[in-house]
Amino acid sequence: MSTVQQTLLLTQWQFRRQATMLPLLVVVQVFLAIATILGFGLVIGDPPPEQALYLATGAPTITLVMVGLVMTPQMLSQSRTEGSLDWMRTLPVPRGSFLVSDLLVWTLIALPGMVLGIVTGVLRFDVDLSPAPWLVPAALLVSLTAAAVGYGMASLLKPTLAMLMTQVLVFVILLFTPVSFPADRMPGWLQTAHEWFPFEPMAQLIRSGLAHDTFSMPGRSLVVLLAWCAASVAGATWALRRRA
Amino acid sequence: MGATTVLTVRGLRKRYRGRGGVQANDGIDLEVAAGQVVGLLGHNGAGKTTLVNHVVGLVRPDAGTIHLDGVDAVAQPAEARRRTCIQAQANVPITGLTPRRAIELVGRIRGAERTAVRARTDELLDALDLRPWADTPAEKVSGGIARLTAFAMTVVTPGRLVVLDEPTNDVDPVRRRLLWGQIRALADEGRAVLLVTHNVREAERVVDRLAVLDRGRVLADDTPAGLTAHLQGTLTVEADLSPGAVEAGWRWHPAVREVSGARGREVGTVGAADAAEVVGWAQGEVAAHRLERYALTPASLEDVYVDLVGHEHAPQGETAGVAA
Repeated sequence: MSTVQQTLLLTQWQFRRQATMLPLLVVVQVFLAIATILGFGLVIGDPPPEQALYLATGAPTITLVMVGLVMTPQMLSQSRTEGSLDWMRTLPVPRGSFLVSDLLVWTLIALPGMVLGIVTGVLRFDVDLSPAPWLVPAALLVSLTAAAVGYGMASLLKPTLAMLMTQVLVFVILLFTPVSFPADRMPGWLQTAHEWFPFEPMAQLIRSGLAHDTFSMPGRSLVVLLAWCAASVAGATWALRRRA
Repeated sequence: MGATTVLTVRGLRKRYRGRGGVQANDGIDLEVAAGQVVGLLGHNGAGKTTLVNHVVGLVRPDAGTIHLDGVDAVAQPAEARRRTCIQAQANVPITGLTPRRAIELVGRIRGAERTAVRARTDELLDALDLRPWADTPAEKVSGGIARLTAFAMTVVTPGRLVVLDEPTNDVDPVRRRLLWGQIRALADEGRAVLLVTHNVREAERVVDRLAVLDRGRVLADDTPAGLTAHLQGTLTVEADLSPGAVEAGWRWHPAVREVSGARGREVGTVGAADAAEVVGWAQGEVAAHRLERYALTPASLEDVYVDLVGHEHAPQGETAGVAA
């Protein structure tokens, strides 16, 4: 049995475990993605075309980051609390497979919301997108990084604390990261901080992937994002391998 | 013994930091051979779960060695996991799945072929009389059925070592017998079975050997007959007192050594030579309405266990509920 087959079987297990909640989860994802677009539209009013494009291309990033940083740690904390994670860890499965299978499940759940979010943005703000050929791998990179950060957080913190952190993150990411608005609206110190956080690079990557005629991806941001991705995957794998 | 040793644990020590510094394992030596069911008895917190978690590499020992089927389990936890399958004390939640689907998926995740897993799943569903529930969504099955499903998930693709932690909890008496039959069958196929429990009475009937664990140490390790040998010629007397008998100053017959008493149920031991006299006396007590009923039984492992670990840790009886 190959590692890939094992990982896919594990994914099937995780996916079916969510089966009863699945329709609801997808609906919530779709709702959140659309609400982000329409909600920000209400806050801002009728935005000028450039700002509208910002909003429409920022929403998918919000969806991916929410899934990775909020849903994944919540799922992991839940399985730690109910004791199923400890049992799963007794199975002869490579430790990294747990991370990959959870990630696959949540990416699949987030996908409809992400796509519908983009469609809503295009319709609501009447913007033209120019998708780059590397949009899909870019979305996967963002998804992987967000989920690995969330995974590491949920593995290292106590379940209750991890749940609380996710609540704080929702608020911070929605309002204080340059995803749905340009970075220059924020105070200088926060801009500097965001040069080292993964959120702005995530937004830039998705934005330039969706409208690469208008936006470009700075090389530095890509390096920051890849560094976060490598570090968080390594951290999450270490956490899964760790012995008490 | 002669049989191949599958699991060898030597001098295993583990102290958990942070949690008030609990010495969970304090120099454990244990062996489980192929074809054997070894019972691991101990109250909550005796170190049973830590021992099991050591074997599959979820806990790293401070000292000691674990060898499993020729592999150093401390150095190669992934290899150890390939050779071990575990039924956890708490049921693994399988909401969203059916018992059949859960058993088959775990069997395949453990590396067996699809057709082999199907056949083995069918065999287990029949053997445990689970077929009526096989395709019922997990959220609609009872605790006992969930427990049996967890057992089947564990042994669908069994390793050389099978660890079962309280497998009979919540299981009805009829299926309980089927379950014991399956556990015995695993050993007869040449696997090593480690049965973690505090249900002494039930374990007595199936195990080949028993290890009693207390405060992270093995207090005794022998066959059930070996453990009870020193009690041969001793009988256990149980008596249910009539209401008001305690207040009236009820006492045992002088030949009976008192062991425990709670809520009007008294337990003591008596030498075989005095048994007839005690029966006569008890009969009189019943006639005088001071006793509701009494019973004499051969000294059991439970008596040995209570003697070893002390009364404050008395094990749960056959109606044991869910353990923490």
